[in-house]
Amino acid sequence: MAIPIIPSLLRNNLAELAADNKRLDGRSQFSGRDIEIEIDCLHNAEGSCRVRMGDTIVLAGVKFQIMTPYPDRPTQGGLMTSAEIRPVCGPNWEPGPPSEESIEMGRVVDRGIRESGCIDTNELCILPGEKAWQVILDLFAVSDDGNMFDAFALAAIAALRTAIVPAEKFDVGEDYKLPVNGTPIMASYNKVGGRFVYDANKREELGGDERIHITLGDEGHVHSLQKGLRGVFTAEEFTEIMDNAQIRCQELRQMVHELEGSK
Amino acid sequence: MGYGDYQCMDENGIREDGRKADEMRPVEIECGVIPVADGSAYIKWGKNEAIAAVYGPMEAHPRKIQRQDRAILDVRYNMAPFSTSDRIRPGFNRRSREISKVTRDALESVVDLELYPRSKIRVEIEIICAEAGTRCCGITAASVALADAGIPMSDMVVSVAAGKCNGIVLMDLNKPEDNYGEADLPMGILPMTDELVFLQMDGDLSMEEFQLAWDYNIKAAHEVHAIMVEALKKRYGGDI
Repeated sequence: MAIPIIPSLLRNNLAELAADNKRLDGRSQFSGRDIEIEIDCLHNAEGSCRVRMGDTIVLAGVKFQIMTPYPDRPTQGGLMTSAEIRPVCGPNWEPGPPSEESIEMGRVVDRGIRESGCIDTNELCILPGEKAWQVILDLFAVSDDGNMFDAFALAAIAALRTAIVPAEKFDVGEDYKLPVNGTPIMASYNKVGGRFVYDANKREELGGDERIHITLGDEGHVHSLQKGLRGVFTAEEFTEIMDNAQIRCQELRQMVHELEGSK
Repeated sequence: MGYGDYQCMDENGIREDGRKADEMRPVEIECGVIPVADGSAYIKWGKNEAIAAVYGPMEAHPRKIQRQDRAILDVRYNMAPFSTSDRIRPGFNRRSREISKVTRDALESVVDLELYPRSKIRVEIEIICAEAGTRCCGITAASVALADAGIPMSDMVVSVAAGKCNGIVLMDLNKPEDNYGEADLPMGILPMTDELVFLQMDGDLSMEEFQLAWDYNIKAAHEVHAIMVEALKKRYGGDI
């Protein structure tokens, strides 16, 4: 990503707003932008989802391949996540090999899903020691107006939870729904004007400091954490955003489940 | 099914997807789908889906790529990993490079580049769902995105393709027709003058077949052009 020029005017503006407990787009500290989720939007993917959060738009597509299990885990398949941020999604994204930022996004989303245990790799086995499913989750950014982490994580879990294993296409039995036992959800917070806010937009990201990503499972357990960018934070600050994440993740989980129910 | 077994047309002259020989797949276009881009377009062409974004004109760097007398177009065509039946490994390949180049050559023929010396205009084409004919989809979407970005152009490039399957010249081949077909003739047409800025062909066509395919393309280009203009009108209103 090209290094953007951040005018001190923007930083000052954000600090002044924060002092009055306001944000650039009029939201309160912990409110998110409007969310639209659409599933099964990509007909060549076995599972897919499009998420729109304000002006941030992302796609997630699930594809399957047959792999040979690793010799030490003969009954296990695999999950691979890749976030390739193409320069289509914003003026600062550049072409070329995956950038540090996109690798971080892919890995943080992957950890949340993997560590929640919602995909049991033993259930991906076709023939022990010979054949197993490799689930490939591709994250694709259409429009980057900030907080792509949350948008990617939401699109990812919704796409996985509605994915169909294409067994017929690979001649290994009948198609079936990919078993996913849980709905890990990510909530991200950026330090803007000296305090943490939920779901920062691009301008808040650019004029802000560090960010924290929290992925919570169905029981409210923590499955992945990531602190990014330059900045320090206190235990009190962390407790505050963790409390908010518990509420926010539950709301988003509800949204995903309602969407699946209506399918 | 082996090559030669595929029957693209029934005895009534109707193709598998219900079209006649000279009929296109349905095309839908929408402008302004990428809020952060200076111009953008979404195109659904049969089962093909693509998005195009335009950024700029902006400073071209490093300076060695600048042209003192005009802007440069930086065009990229890419297929998303989930756009096809078998996943595509991310990253540039020879095919996408070539398509990027011919797309640039086509668009540079219409964009008024001399207005923006030393600058760069980025054109990004992403294929989201692929079902034969993605390069035409991409070029057409990119033209609309350039217009949406307010970049001056002498005309919009409309790209369409005719081909041949089972020895019959067909407009706008779908996936099986393309797989089992014998020829493909994609063209980039300027609908105001019927001039060409893009032309490729592969396969086997007699001169009669070639002429028929050419005529199909010119006719189809005008149909698609009307849809492109409608999409821009819908976004901006008024006459174009």
